[in-house]
Formats: sequence, structure tokens, C-alpha cells
Amino acid sequence: MLIGAIVAGVVFGLYFTLVGLGLNLVFGVMRIVNLAHGDFLMLGGYAAWWLLSAFGIHPLPAAAIVLVVFMLAGLPLYYLVVPRLQRARDSEMLSLILFFGLSQMIEAVTTIVVGTTERSLPGRLLGIGPMIVLGARLPKPWVFSAAVSAVAVLGVYLYLYRTRLGTLTRAVMVSRDEALATGIDIHRVSAIAFGISLGLAGIAGVFAPFMLGSITPNIGVGLNITAFAVIVVGTLGNPLGTVVGGIVYGVSLMLMQTYFSSWANLLPNLLLIAVLLARPQGLYGRRVRLA
Amino acid sequence: MRKRGLLPDLLLPALVLVAFGAAPFLYSNELMLFNFVTFLALAQGLNIVYGFTGYLPFGYVGFYGAGAYGFALAVMHLHAPPLAAMAAGGAAALVLAVVLLPLLRLSGAYFAIASLAAAQAVYEVVSNPALENVTKGPYGVSLSGVFAPRFSYFVALAILGGAFALVVWLRNSRFGLALQAIREDPVSAASAGVSVVRGRTIAWLLSALVAGLVGAAFAWHISVFYPDTAFDLGVSIFATVFVLFGGATTLTGPLLGVLILYGVYNWIGITVPQYFQFIYGALIVGLVLFLPNGLVSLLTARGIRVP
Amino acid sequence: MNIRGALAGLVLAASTVFGARAAPAPAEIKVGTLYASTGPFAAISMPAYDGIKLWVKQANAAGGVYVKPYHKKIPLKLIAYDDQSNTATAATLYNQLITQDHVEILISDSGSVLTSVAVPIAREHKQLLFDLSGTGAPFFSKDNPYIVLMSLPISTLWPKAQADFLNDVGWRAGVRKVAILYATNDFTGTHAKSLAGYLRKAGKETIVYDQGVPTNTTNYSVLINNIAAAKPDAVIELGYPGNDIAFLRALQDSGEKFRYVFTLFGGFEMHAVLGGAGASAMVGTFTYIPAALYPYKVNYGPTVEQFHAAWDKAYPPGSGVAWGADGLMGYMSGLVIERALATTPGMSQLDLRRAVFALSGKLDTLAGAFRLNPVGAQIGEMTPMGQLRADGPHAVRPVAVYPPALAMGKPEFGPRSGQ
Repeated sequence: MLIGAIVAGVVFGLYFTLVGLGLNLVFGVMRIVNLAHGDFLMLGGYAAWWLLSAFGIHPLPAAAIVLVVFMLAGLPLYYLVVPRLQRARDSEMLSLILFFGLSQMIEAVTTIVVGTTERSLPGRLLGIGPMIVLGARLPKPWVFSAAVSAVAVLGVYLYLYRTRLGTLTRAVMVSRDEALATGIDIHRVSAIAFGISLGLAGIAGVFAPFMLGSITPNIGVGLNITAFAVIVVGTLGNPLGTVVGGIVYGVSLMLMQTYFSSWANLLPNLLLIAVLLARPQGLYGRRVRLA
Repeated sequence: MRKRGLLPDLLLPALVLVAFGAAPFLYSNELMLFNFVTFLALAQGLNIVYGFTGYLPFGYVGFYGAGAYGFALAVMHLHAPPLAAMAAGGAAALVLAVVLLPLLRLSGAYFAIASLAAAQAVYEVVSNPALENVTKGPYGVSLSGVFAPRFSYFVALAILGGAFALVVWLRNSRFGLALQAIREDPVSAASAGVSVVRGRTIAWLLSALVAGLVGAAFAWHISVFYPDTAFDLGVSIFATVFVLFGGATTLTGPLLGVLILYGVYNWIGITVPQYFQFIYGALIVGLVLFLPNGLVSLLTARGIRVP
Repeated sequence: MNIRGALAGLVLAASTVFGARAAPAPAEIKVGTLYASTGPFAAISMPAYDGIKLWVKQANAAGGVYVKPYHKKIPLKLIAYDDQSNTATAATLYNQLITQDHVEILISDSGSVLTSVAVPIAREHKQLLFDLSGTGAPFFSKDNPYIVLMSLPISTLWPKAQADFLNDVGWRAGVRKVAILYATNDFTGTHAKSLAGYLRKAGKETIVYDQGVPTNTTNYSVLINNIAAAKPDAVIELGYPGNDIAFLRALQDSGEKFRYVFTLFGGFEMHAVLGGAGASAMVGTFTYIPAALYPYKVNYGPTVEQFHAAWDKAYPPGSGVAWGADGLMGYMSGLVIERALATTPGMSQLDLRRAVFALSGKLDTLAGAFRLNPVGAQIGEMTPMGQLRADGPHAVRPVAVYPPALAMGKPEFGPRSGQ
């Protein structure tokens, strides 16, 4: 039971790495908190549902379509909102409020368009039945989603460390002011990162019906809180740290479910507070404490 | 800042208190009035910590919920009379605030999120079926024995008066000015002899106390509620949006925020409910983009002192 | 609002002037309710609201409802506000309906949480609350005459059907060990507690696993592994539709087989769960059969087939409103109200209460027998136990299996495990 819970936790946590990855990228580059991240994820799920029911498109190609469309949608959204936001005195804090408003708008429109009934994609599309991994029985869709997540993490790594734009992006992450001083087009770099973030949320959304059973327009808020716990645990502003956060979250959630199931929701919250208080520096040494 | 502002600082709250004191005799949707009073008090309570220290607790509702449950537990287990139970509600919020003092070491968004996580954690504990004998777990609380809507309305109004008084004091006292100095620049404030930790701690506790008392009044007024009601994240979000919309550190800002936004909220909710959430979301987005320092910044930016 | 008040004053003055004559009939009967277009309760609230809307539409198409004190048909006017699953907003809006809109009929929003705030408000204003589906036991007390529960048995009574079934048929089939997994909210939590109580009291079945999980739980794989480790014959999962979908999918993916698997919404919102979990995950599982899936004999209103046809016409499949128990509950509450208005001795709220209580035991609607206990809780609707059978490759159909009086087929338990 213990080994099973740990293996399942790692695989499940890898999916939540994907959920948090884009959120962390945006925070790292722009120092803003996209509270609508979970709602973009939800939209990705509905996009996959719509592509399947209207055109019979399988979720795997649907994920590619969603990635591209969401990335492109992220660019104008960035220019519409973020530069203006960053001119404010306390943009980190105001971003929480602004994207909360956006999240409300997205949820409202989705509800009007698709209604509130649970929607899902048939499990057989990714295979039904258990897959044995290290002696633990896991649902096939979990393994699939975890694999896609691993590919996404690899993609983000390659982008950040093997491309010119990625190098510039990292420069902005380390110090916005210095990057500005060296003549980097901050807005271009940020807009692309924002697009990538939305694309990642979209892909995570495509797999959400398999991981969560079903989706409704209001799943965004809850997912956001979880995603936040994941990226805080894994170091805010360091996208690759999200992997650690996801796995820690997944494993501890499964252990809680096994031994204290009704307290399972207490865990991400306590984890978040504990990590913030005990490891305030994070892996990159970003200052999060004042006194 | 000049000290001359004391008179308008006193006049404005007095007007509000008189208006809301008379309102139940003129308008029969007392619950709507009660909710207005609740949010007016919560907005000023949040103003105490956010306006004067710059800390924005997203989990402000945690204190409100603690207050509601403090009240309920005192009534259920100690058979306390309602006013004594109110004190228990305030005490519960204070205890929670003391436990959460370490969070004040965090900055900015981290503090906001950590306080939210703390509120969620308290909710998870209160609503857990394992604690059914203590809190009634997820099955909800029924306090119909002490149900007294008119009386509890005026108690809530008294709490609002107290919250106003605290903000007036902060705006016009050395302590309050010191707090604002900390907010602007903690390092030089500390070197100028202002106790950063003490100042923040006091503001934090006062802010929690206001929310706890409001939560207790809510429990008394509504008398039947679930943990989901007492720890509804919407309470935090509303209070935050109201303060930001009007503009923190002033009396007027949070007040206008509640009167305008909660007024619009109720008006839209009753006239065009189907687009309600969308309009509200759009309003928030527009606010942050075009008026990030709140409504009062239209005046303060021109050098006009706003009460 | 002032104009309305003045008008009301005029009407009052007029009625005193023409004292001896009956009060003039109002132009419309105002029906007030709330719905949650968003938030956690939207999924149960919106179908119920659609059910109420359909009732109002049908009644008005027939020229209104017959109101006995006025001896004529009067059209209905539905006043509905969106509480967005927010209880503080709901409280304000209930109060608005009572004190500003002066509705004659007040129907609560779906579910116990959004109903809870209405209970003290309705009582304070002496307004009868037609409680749609708030089954919380604390709402009903001897000192509060201003509430009647329309369509579901209160949550403490409801699980008795399943306990009886397990103790009787299940026991004979060799089911000895039971696992209960429930979502820790008022509705399913109370249900689980009462179920365990009934099983323990009978002293036959052994409960080998009894755990709560947070209501927003969506990952059941590890939980199912843990349940399997306790080697139960019967697994009972109690949650909302989202929980049930996630559970059924995880169960199918786990490859674990149990002799008896139960979900609550597999029957109650069968179409929604089918859309999410797929037929193969549901075939063979047990559930309660809601009125939406059982052909009760009616003595008032349409049969369930007729209602289903009307529903599909008003809300074509794919319009985002799934056909299920919540929609039927909204509609059925309308029928009870309609019948009460047709028989009420007067228009005061206590007259309406008398009229509704007079229907108890006499009214059979598409939701089954309507029976109230003295505090206004519903005890008539017996939800029979049912099993879901394959109906082609992509659908399931429910078969009532217990109690014998309502059964339409025999239950089929899974094979005994080899150990």
C-alpha cells in the first residue's frame, strides 16, 4: 500500500507539474500571479471536448492544436493587460486581483456557452485498465498524462537553455532591470513566455478530463490554489523546480489519502505555509521575507 | 500629512453610522443592510492591515470564520449569552492571528497566498467530520435559540463604529504615521527608531479582531450556517476588491468601495443576474488597469486630502 | 418599490372599502426563487431552476394556475435571482424576494447549503419556504411551521433502503463486508453516517472501511487500492456527480472487481454521469432510482415519460442541461404548489401550509407519493434500489431491484472472489 501510494503520487504529481509549470514561468518572468491560470486550463479541457464531439479529433492531436491556439491567444492578451499592470506601484499584488477578475469573466462566459453539466472525454481514448509500474497499478491515462508532462518540462528546459530567446528569458528572470539596461526587448520575451504559459495550461486542460474524471466551468479556482502550492513548494519563479513541487505534492497527497483521507486537503495548505516559512530563499535565492 | 483632518475624519463615519442606524426603519430588506454593514466593517478592518502596513491577507476570511465559529462554539457548548459569545468570537480570531504571526515575515504575494492557505487550513479542520462533536463538522451549525436579527444588526453597526474609530486613530496618531513610514520604507523607519515588528503586530491583531467580531455578528444574525458559508473565499475577495477600488489608508476609500461596488453588485444581481459574474469580473479588470490606486487617487493625486 | 408599496396600499384600501366582497384577484401570482449559475452548486441548481421555469411556462400557456380563494385561473410570474452559490448573496436575495418583491410563493435554491440561509429568514418573515432539495435535518423542527420539503426524503431517513437491501438480499447472496467512502459535505456525510448506523444496528454486515474524503476529491485510484486491501464485498461511494464520475473511471482503470458497487448519482444524474464516466464503467453498479427513471403511477400532472418529452422539447439534448433528478424536482415542486393553490382555504402563508399538508398522502406525482411528517420533512418518496444494465454499447438503463413491491428485475452480484 505504501509503495503503491508513492508510485501513484509521483505519476500524479507529474501531471500537477504540468498544471503549475506555466503559472511558474509567468511568475518567474513577469513577477505577476496569473490567478486565471486554472481557468485557461479549464478552457483547454472544453476545447478538447469540443474538438472531439464536433470533429471527432482524438485528444493527442487536440493537445497540439490547443497548444498552438492558446499560445497565439496569449500574445495579444499579454499586450492588452500586462504592460499596463506593471506600471502600477504594487503590480505583484494587483495582478492577483486583476487575474481574479479575468477568471470570473472566463467562468461566466464558459457557463453561458456550455452550461454547468459535467463534461468528459471517454476513457477508452487513452486506454482503459491498469498499467503496472514498479508493482503499482496505475490508470493508463495517468501514465499518458505524466509522459506528456515530462515532454513539456523537457520542452521548456530546451527553450530556456538551448535557444537565444530562452537565454534572454532567463536574463529577465534573474533581473528585470539589468535586462532592460542591456537592451533586451522585455515585452517580446515576456509576451512569448505568457503565450507558452497559456499553451501549457491548455495542454494540461486537455488531459484534465482523464485526470479529474470530468470538468465543469468552475474547476479553475481550486486548480489554481493547488497549482500555487505546487510552485511554491518547488520554488517560485523557477519553472524547473515545479517538477519537485509536483512530485512532493503528489506523493504527500497520496500518503494522506492512504492514512488520513478526510484530512487530505489540509496538506497542500500546510505544505505551502511550511515551505514559505522554512525555505524562504528557494533554490534561486529570491528574497521573499522582509524581516 | 497635516493633523487638521480630524474633523472630517470623525464626521464621515458619524454620517454613515446614523444612516445605517436609521435604514432598517425605512427599508425592509434588513439582510441587505446587514451585509452592507458587514462589508463596511470588513473593508475598514482590512484597511487597518493593508492600508497601514502594506500587507494584504488574501485569507482574511479565516478570521471572519474563526469569529463565527468562536461565537457558535460558545453558544453551543458553554450556553453563553450572545454578547459573551461575541467576545469569544473576537478572541478566537485573535488567537488565530497570534498563531499566524510568523507569516508577517513573508513579503508581498507570498504573504497573501500563505494567509489564504492558512484560512483554508482552518476551514479544513473546522469542517472535518472527525470534529463533529466539537464543531458539528460539515453538518452545519444551528443557533436558532439566540436568533435576534434586529439586535445583532445594531451590534454589527457598533462593530463598524469601532472599526471606524480604529482607522481614525491610525490616521491621526503618531503610531499610525509610524506604521505608514514602515510601509513606505521599513529599513529607514527601523533606523529612525520605529519598531517595525511591534507596529505590524498591533495592526495585524486589530485587523483580525475586527474580522472576528464581524464574523461573530454574522453567526448571530444568520443563525444557521455551514463551514462553507463562514469560510467563503468570496468574503476575502469582496473585502479586498472594495478596499482597492476605493483606495486604502483613507476612511473614504473602503467606504466608497463598499457603497458603490456592493451597491452595483446588488443592483446587477437583481436586474440582470445572468451577466452578473461577467460584468463584475470586467469591472475588476478595468479597475486594476485604469485606477490601480483606487478611486480616491483621483483626488489625492491632485494634492487634496481625503478623509 | 415605492410605487409598488403605494399600489399595495391602494389595493388594501379598496378591499376595505368593498369590505364584504372577496379580495380582488391579483393580476399574477408571484413565485420567487434563486438559482446558482456558477460555483459549486451550479450543477444541481441549474437543472432544478430549468424545471421550475418549465412548470411556469406550461402553467401560463394554460392560462395560469387555478387559485381557489379567487375562483379563477391566474398567471404566474417567476422572479428569480442568481446567488452564484454564494450564501451571503443568497441570504440578501431571499430577503429581497420576501420584503421587496412580496412573492406569494418562495422556493429555495437546490441543496442544503444554499437552503440553510433561507430557513431563518423565511421563518422570521412568516413566509412558507418550499424547500426544493435541502434535506439537512436541522432545518426541520416543531417550532418552525414555515418550511416544507418537496422532493427528497431527509438525509437521515434516505439510506434505509440501501441498508435494508444489503441486510436482506445482499446477505443472502453472501455479501458480508462493506466499505463506505464518502465526500465530507453535509449531504453525503449525513448519508454515510446514517447508512453506517443502519448497518451497525442490524448487526449483520461488517463495515471494513469507512472513510471521508474532501468533496473536491477527483483522484480515486489510491483510495480504491486501499479499499481493495480491506477486501470488502460491497463498496459504497457517496459523492456528488463529479466524485462519482471520477470514482467510476478510477475503478474501471484499476481493474479491481467488487461484488457490489454503489454510487449515488449514477442513478440520480444518470445522464450526466454517463457522459463523464462512460457506459462500461457503470454497467452492473447499483444506485438509487430517482423518480426521473421510474414510472410512478400519477394522480396529478404528467407521467415521467410525458415530462421527459416536454423537457427534451424545451431543452434539446446538448443544450447544456442534462435530464435528471434535479430538473424533475424543480418541476415536481411546481406541481405541488399548483395543487396547493387550487385547494388552499386562503392566501395567507399558513393557509398555504395547511393546503400543502392536506395533500400529504393524497398526491401522487411523477416523483412518487407525496407525504410529509409533522415538521414538514418529506417521507413519502421511497427511492428504490436499482442496478444499471447495459443498453447497447454506449448507454445504460436502470432496473429497480428492491424493495420487492417496486422491483422490476433481480439484482445480479459480481462473482465471489477466488480467495
